[in-house]
Amino acid sequence: MSSAVNEFIRSFFLVELLKGLRLTGRNLFKRKVTIQYPEEKAPQSPRFRGLHALRRYPNGEERCIACKLCEAVCPALAITIESEPREDGQRRTTRYDIDLFKCIYCGFCEESCPVDSIVETRIHEYHMEARGENIITKQALLAIGDKYEQQLARDRAMDAPYR
Amino acid sequence: MSTETRPENLLSAEVRREIDHWLAKFPSSGRRSAVIPALHAVQDANDGYLTEDLMDAVADYIDMPRTAVYEVATFYTMFDLKPVGRHKVNICTNIACWLMGSDDIVSHCERRLGIGLGETTPDNRITLKIEEECLAACTGGPMMVVDGHYHTHLTPEKVDEILDKLE
Amino acid sequence: MNAKVDNATDTVTIEVDGVEIQARKGAMLIEATDNADIHVPRFCYHRKLSIAANCRMCLVDVEKAPKPLPACATPVADGMKVRTRSERALKAQKGVMEFLLINHPLDCPICDQGGECELQDLAMGYGRGVSRFSERKRVVRDENLGPLIATEMTRCIHCTRCVRFLDEVAGQPELGGMGRGEHMTISTYVERGVSSEMSGNIIDLCPVGALTSKPFRFSARAWEMLSHPAVSPHDCTGSNLQIHHLNGRVKRVVPREQEEINECWIADRDRFSYQGLYSGDRLTAPMVKRDGEWHEVDWETALGEAAECLRNTVREHGPDALGALISPSATVEEMYLLGRLVRGLGSRNIDARIRTGDFSDQIARPPFPASGLPLADIDRLDTVLVFGGNPRNDHPIINHRLRKATLNGARIHFVDPCSHDINYPVAGQYPTHPDDMVALLAAVAESLLEGDDAGFPDGLRELIGETPAGGLAGKLAAALAESDNPAILLGPMVEAHPRGAVLRSIAQIIARKARARVAILTDGANTAGAWLAGAVPHREAGGGAVDRPGLDARAMMEQPLRAYLLHALEPEQDCWDAAAARAALEQADSVVVMTTFLGEGMQRYADVLLPVGGFGETSGSFVSVEGRWQSFPGVAPPQGQGRPAWKVLRVLGNLLEVDGFDYHASDEITDEVRGLCGELQVQTEQPWQVPEYLRTQGQGLVRAGTAGIYAGDPLVRRAEALQATPLAREPDVIIGPGLARELELQDGSVAEVRQGDVAARAVVGIREGVAEGVVWMPSGSAAAAGLGPLIGPVTLTRA
Repeated sequence: MSSAVNEFIRSFFLVELLKGLRLTGRNLFKRKVTIQYPEEKAPQSPRFRGLHALRRYPNGEERCIACKLCEAVCPALAITIESEPREDGQRRTTRYDIDLFKCIYCGFCEESCPVDSIVETRIHEYHMEARGENIITKQALLAIGDKYEQQLARDRAMDAPYR
Repeated sequence: MSTETRPENLLSAEVRREIDHWLAKFPSSGRRSAVIPALHAVQDANDGYLTEDLMDAVADYIDMPRTAVYEVATFYTMFDLKPVGRHKVNICTNIACWLMGSDDIVSHCERRLGIGLGETTPDNRITLKIEEECLAACTGGPMMVVDGHYHTHLTPEKVDEILDKLE
Repeated sequence: MNAKVDNATDTVTIEVDGVEIQARKGAMLIEATDNADIHVPRFCYHRKLSIAANCRMCLVDVEKAPKPLPACATPVADGMKVRTRSERALKAQKGVMEFLLINHPLDCPICDQGGECELQDLAMGYGRGVSRFSERKRVVRDENLGPLIATEMTRCIHCTRCVRFLDEVAGQPELGGMGRGEHMTISTYVERGVSSEMSGNIIDLCPVGALTSKPFRFSARAWEMLSHPAVSPHDCTGSNLQIHHLNGRVKRVVPREQEEINECWIADRDRFSYQGLYSGDRLTAPMVKRDGEWHEVDWETALGEAAECLRNTVREHGPDALGALISPSATVEEMYLLGRLVRGLGSRNIDARIRTGDFSDQIARPPFPASGLPLADIDRLDTVLVFGGNPRNDHPIINHRLRKATLNGARIHFVDPCSHDINYPVAGQYPTHPDDMVALLAAVAESLLEGDDAGFPDGLRELIGETPAGGLAGKLAAALAESDNPAILLGPMVEAHPRGAVLRSIAQIIARKARARVAILTDGANTAGAWLAGAVPHREAGGGAVDRPGLDARAMMEQPLRAYLLHALEPEQDCWDAAAARAALEQADSVVVMTTFLGEGMQRYADVLLPVGGFGETSGSFVSVEGRWQSFPGVAPPQGQGRPAWKVLRVLGNLLEVDGFDYHASDEITDEVRGLCGELQVQTEQPWQVPEYLRTQGQGLVRAGTAGIYAGDPLVRRAEALQATPLAREPDVIIGPGLARELELQDGSVAEVRQGDVAARAVVGIREGVAEGVVWMPSGSAAAAGLGPLIGPVTLTRA
């Protein structure tokens, strides 16, 4: 009996509506959280895991030594590496492909790399236009690394104390 | 084995006699026991150092693998594998002598002769042997052996005197 | 041999980690724990090598011992109580590990051993997370050990397994521990490299990455490769291998343990020959020749044309105008199908005995040529006559076993046209002119038969001719007669000898009289299989005799046919008479070649080239010289459009409308052949045949030589690293100093070698120990390609 009365009072005085309006009113004067993407961008963590890159040492030598740990650790089997001795006898890759469709951006490759060669950059806006472009080759990875080296180095340095 | 490295061409009759003398002391199954005295004999006959050919000749003469002879010759500091000076100076740097100040003796010698350990004076007079181990005269440390002669209780002055006497 | 091993008095009871185990008296503790599956960490200990006890990793806690003891050098004693995982043992092991890691570089990511490294594995169990050693690590200069073994000596932990292996097993002590203390390095000192024919085993033995495979270097990781069994395709011992492959490419070959054959070793030839698979001249697509030009075509066209060639020949010239030659290292399945194909077309000419010189006893021989001497028994022989062969070159695993026999005191006598560099003390090497080999062996038989006129076979005395019977023959006869456990090994020189039949017969007489066992060491990996699968002209599949035998390998070349079908061989390198082979093939109307490689010669004479899979690329079986059937899978797809040869033959059979070529898998063929063979026992006896003629007495010089160590088949000839080894770079021709003086030839000079109409320029080497009148020239070298018979007249002149 009493529940029916309560129900009647709540609906007659539009209590639910007022509750909703109270929330609206509270937020009306709060700072806006919506950003105008792509003109505006959300802040990123230095640990952001986006598109991959291969880094070089400051003297221009590629870091990757073809140890294949990233290939072994990759849970999605997205990495394919082939290696052989380079002319100067060093162990180097002849092929380093990442299939971006397979990649789940877990960051294990970066984690496993003994020479900080394979890294995930902050780049998260990229697309492919043709079949096959999802395979990103060693040259492309190195080019990305070269382009963003400053930021990559800064991010690694920032994260270093926690490793 | 090419003709040049045959034992009879490289080892003089005298050296071979010396080796035979040592070989006779061991049973025929233990011929390789004679390798150290044999290498000494050969080294003494060759201005104090051994060459690959000479080691090969010793190996072939006493019938043991050449590699085994190299192992012996590289193990002991008493064998030299590069040309050396006329006199070999071995300063003990093991613990007993070291506690008695062999470091000072070594640096004194190095200064005086102008060479480091393991080097030979430019006039080919003296070789300072590198990393000499205990020469079994700990009671008299610091000590050194010059051409097989023991000199104990060394002081820089005493060393100078000994070194100056070397031709 | 030692029947008392199981006797209770020969074992002791020890307690390890609270478990009672039985151990052989005198055994080392580690042997007992290994047998009981209790793992004790170790680096220097290897059950096939002597005990060095220098790594100290196997320290264990023995009750009442004041200090931990090394399990590898502590003999078991009755009632001994051992704890391998007690606090004291673990502390000792961890301490040793810390010292081992002091100087070991942290370069696992670039080390080929990474992932299969004993040090890495044990460091996970016994190492500290962080090193306490902050001083400088030592660095050791690398040494070039030759084209097979890559070194990274900074990684060396001085276990000396490699040193001990080369000294004790390979018999060539080329590595040693040079220097002392911190300055000790494993080195040859003289930088001459390692040249043993078994040297590759030190790669497996090295517990760290100090010694790794050069051809394999950096090309794959241990964990990513798949591993499948294989069998050596190079010699009749049938060494067990394991192929490691990745993405359809053979990456490396390692031994598979088989105590009765290869123990845990393999020859370098088996280990590194896979490199040949990726040589530049792989045939990757079917090709046909039209108007003298080669065209790549699809399989359908090529097979159609091949079938057409064969069918036309049979139609126009009769089936006997067709001949087929197959490599003695082809699989049983290939041999069986090829045999059925040829016979299905009505021809009887098929043979795999490409390097055989004498076929006259083929009917009388046992169902398949085999060794009446199990390989494992070689270790226990006390007198061996190795007749016509250099086991070190021809069958490295047999040589290794012979070496073990000599270490047990065996006396081994070698009779061959030239003496060889043998890696153990031999009782004697007797360089014998090929023409005198029959007489010598006959004289040995005569000495043994002395006083036994009834046992004298007809015509034996006459064979001896004027050769004095005493001397050498008497010595060999006495050695065999006095021995308790003698054997005669007939090597490839007997196979190639133009009077091989007589040699084999006499060997039987000697064997019977001296109670010796005879081992006929055959060519290739599968000569026994060829006899069983019907790839010989006088036997059908299953080993039964055929009514009218066809032409044998030699006759097929000496009496040119109209069409040839070749499989997996290069006749101008592999045939007994390469010159005749080349001439016969060039005059033929059509030649169909199933091949893995595009050889130079076949481009000239062939009409259709069908690419087939090589080693590791086809499933199949080999029958070893012991009569052991060993099957293996195909692990990598053939390069390009190549197909396994049995599939090619199946289609060819269907196209030619030969019945029963509808197999779906190679094991169906295997089962069929095995079914035909039944339970065949190894037999070596063959009846004495009165030789048709008594003596061959050539005028002038005679060439003698069997296949070189790395030259016996198309695959190994293309293995780059093996070809760069000193063993492969021997001079083409070896002569004695007397002959050299006569011909005014110097060591290393170039001479013209002429056999019949064919001449070649060859580098001459001068050695002692070549029989007078003999020019030692192995086949398979570039210089020997296309020359005449392996054993036959030759002239040598200064070029």
